[in-house]
Amino acid sequence: MMSLSPSLGSSYPWLKELKSEERGLYLIHLLLTCANHVATGSLENANIALEQISELASPDGDTMQRIAAYFTEALADRILKTWPGLHKAINSTRVVDLVSEQALVRRLFFEVFPFLKAAFLLVNQAIIEAMEGEKVVHVIDLDAAEPMQWIALIRGLSARPEGPPHLRITGIHVRKEVLDQMGHRLSEEAEKLDIPFQFNPVVGELEDLDVERLHVKTGEAVAISSVLRLHSLLASDDEPLRKKLPLALKNSNGIHLQRALQMSQNTLGELLEKDTVNGYSPSPDSASSSPLSSPVSPKVDTFLTALRGLLPKLVVITEQDSNHNGSTLMERLLESLHSYAALFDCLESTVSRASSERLKLEKMLFGNEIKNIISCEGAERKERHEKLEKWIQRLDSAGFCNVPLSYYGMLQAKTLLQGYNCNGYKMKGENGCVMICWQDRPMFSVSAWRCRNSL
Amino acid sequence: MVWVIADPEAEVIALSPKTLMATNRFLCEICGKGFQRDQNLQLHRRGHNLPWKLKQRSTKEVRKRVYVCPEKTCVHHHPSRALGDLTGIKKHFCRKHGEKKWKCDKCSKQYAVQSDWKAHSKTCGTREYKCDCGTLFSRRDSFITHRAFCDALAEETARVNAASSMHSNINHHLMGNQIGPPMAQHFPPIFKPISSNNVTIDQTRCGLSLWMGQESQFHDSIPKSLQEIHQFGSVISGSIYSDPLVSTSNPPASGYHLNWVLDNKVSPSHAEELTSTSLPLNNVKENGARLVSVPSLFSTQKLHSHQTTSANMSATALLQKAAQIGATSTDTSFLGSLGTKCSISQIQEGNKYSGLYVSNTPPTSFGSDLENSANDISNLNQLQMQPAKRQRLQNEDSSGGQTRDFLGVGVLPICHPSSINGWT
Repeated sequence: MMSLSPSLGSSYPWLKELKSEERGLYLIHLLLTCANHVATGSLENANIALEQISELASPDGDTMQRIAAYFTEALADRILKTWPGLHKAINSTRVVDLVSEQALVRRLFFEVFPFLKAAFLLVNQAIIEAMEGEKVVHVIDLDAAEPMQWIALIRGLSARPEGPPHLRITGIHVRKEVLDQMGHRLSEEAEKLDIPFQFNPVVGELEDLDVERLHVKTGEAVAISSVLRLHSLLASDDEPLRKKLPLALKNSNGIHLQRALQMSQNTLGELLEKDTVNGYSPSPDSASSSPLSSPVSPKVDTFLTALRGLLPKLVVITEQDSNHNGSTLMERLLESLHSYAALFDCLESTVSRASSERLKLEKMLFGNEIKNIISCEGAERKERHEKLEKWIQRLDSAGFCNVPLSYYGMLQAKTLLQGYNCNGYKMKGENGCVMICWQDRPMFSVSAWRCRNSL
Repeated sequence: MVWVIADPEAEVIALSPKTLMATNRFLCEICGKGFQRDQNLQLHRRGHNLPWKLKQRSTKEVRKRVYVCPEKTCVHHHPSRALGDLTGIKKHFCRKHGEKKWKCDKCSKQYAVQSDWKAHSKTCGTREYKCDCGTLFSRRDSFITHRAFCDALAEETARVNAASSMHSNINHHLMGNQIGPPMAQHFPPIFKPISSNNVTIDQTRCGLSLWMGQESQFHDSIPKSLQEIHQFGSVISGSIYSDPLVSTSNPPASGYHLNWVLDNKVSPSHAEELTSTSLPLNNVKENGARLVSVPSLFSTQKLHSHQTTSANMSATALLQKAAQIGATSTDTSFLGSLGTKCSISQIQEGNKYSGLYVSNTPPTSFGSDLENSANDISNLNQLQMQPAKRQRLQNEDSSGGQTRDFLGVGVLPICHPSSINGWT
């Protein structure tokens, strides 16, 4: 029987002696254990696991140590939410990320990884090809934060043999400053190249968007681009369901609820039976559950239908290609462990451990995503990444059909990936869509769509 | 070239070669100066104070005139392929059937039509793209397409790959033979350089034929590549489902101009943007021409290639290893020791999942906790979420032959072949 004596400097001296690989394996083990305890409400046990993890994890260490650091923080955050007052209190002096910090992290993600660049190449090429012959082009960016994409498009369009079109870009974003900056950069570029150009900022949350605000005019050819944004709309679908369900079971310290355990039995059993994420399994600490297999997502469906109503010539969707939207914590933890392991591996292979930029990316980008996936539920849980096949289903139901991505675009993207001097980046095409991978694991998907039954 | 869709009402005019070639057939009687058009002669006559008269445009409806080429073997000899423009047919005749009298002094090109020659001279030597292999191009589009297949690039990549191969080999080794699906393979994108002529002509040609002769150039597994070629050949309609770079690329003509890639004007200003963040990996590749079709906007940087030593497994590899271990070990019920009467232990016995990857030897002072917390070890099995990655579980410790003394207490993990439910 373990004697718990946290008063000592390190309760587990032997932990320090573990070699890297063993430590890594043990960390995985601990994380899973801890998550399971959290899921079943065994907070005391979870605490033990957390303690051990803390001895081993470190944001400065090797890949697994870093990953563990962020996951453990996410798990702790989740536990803390059981006591809302405590949770709020401990975060009361936390400064919300500045706009500039957010911009920096975005820029880092763009520079350090080729994912966005490759995606932009594919998206832009798809747009350019779809817009051949069009004199007036209206591009709508559902999350306009990265001007690079549109600068590239502007240049691409200006080089058309038929000459550039009249170009309008509508950018949607929650922060006005970001849109102002973008509008400025793009207008500057368009002027340099002497292209008739207009930038329309639309400030607000995508979830609240009224398509009227996009001012789509008759006669213009519309292209809609969504880069890593659509998945957050899935969060809104959770809310109505949550309200109907019983309140979260509260745990006071040290008490393990029999009921929780019974529920967990089902959870685990089901987890084991199915290897997909479709099961109905309530997790007691959150009491959220979602209905069965087919993705019921009225909010997204409504949104996509509204987009279709604009009769766009092209819709291009770029999304993370991982299933981080499982209904139970364990599902999400397991899946995200794999995905973020790949991303952290990627960083390890390409950037030095001492790099502060790498640290920023890990902490402010990935760390925040992990925290959201693990510790949040309901409308708060925005990082609801899903696999391409689910998006295909949704777009199909909304009245879109697939447009195979341009071969030439793929060629460009592939060359870009190879130029990163790192063997790990791969690309594969599947049914006209493209997956950008790290080693074997698809990380991002790009797919293009047009309205069905229209020319 | 003007394409006239045969207009049955049009008047077909067949001029003789002599007439077509004749220039300046309108001569001034005073000074003998020749003009191509009567109107111009008339205006000239004014200068001599001669009577002049400009023909008015006739008021009646003029029948559309189309012109045929006198050369019998020519496509445009037939009225259905006549050209609608007199000047056009003249130029056509000269270009195709005439003698190339005009020579460019910078390069070796020759032209039969003077205006063609003039137009060429203006651009000859002014804009040139040079591939690493030494070939020169005046047209951006042909240059770009050439680069896609140039051998030089292949060598460069090979050299770079060799340098970083140690790292990648380690990962590949550790991750076992996961590189299965051909899609994910690292393909050599480069092939034997195709002469630029072929490339420009080849807009729509099926990639298959271009490739068949180039197999010997592949330095990856040939059978696989061939498979993809065949696949690709049947998918020319455009739905690419295999690696696009296996086959040749025939980018659409309009695509060429997208390449903001090599627009060197762009790079300098852009470099500022890229350097605004203090990245350690800041060598913006100004020389966009390094790589094919990559917009200088997105020009890649020589990233500091941080190679992991052989002692450091990637996190992905660790996860896989953990899953393997989890699958091959026995059950143990631990939760009891944690002080919890938990029905989860019952589940374990229900054999829903195999147990731990650690020894089931009775724990030492700290060991119990370790094992206990490794309860629903099925979770480790869950690590292999994707069906494609399911591995056949092996009897032995599959971690590469080393049984680790995980607990550090001289106890080795005991692995039993387990019936893995739901995993096979």
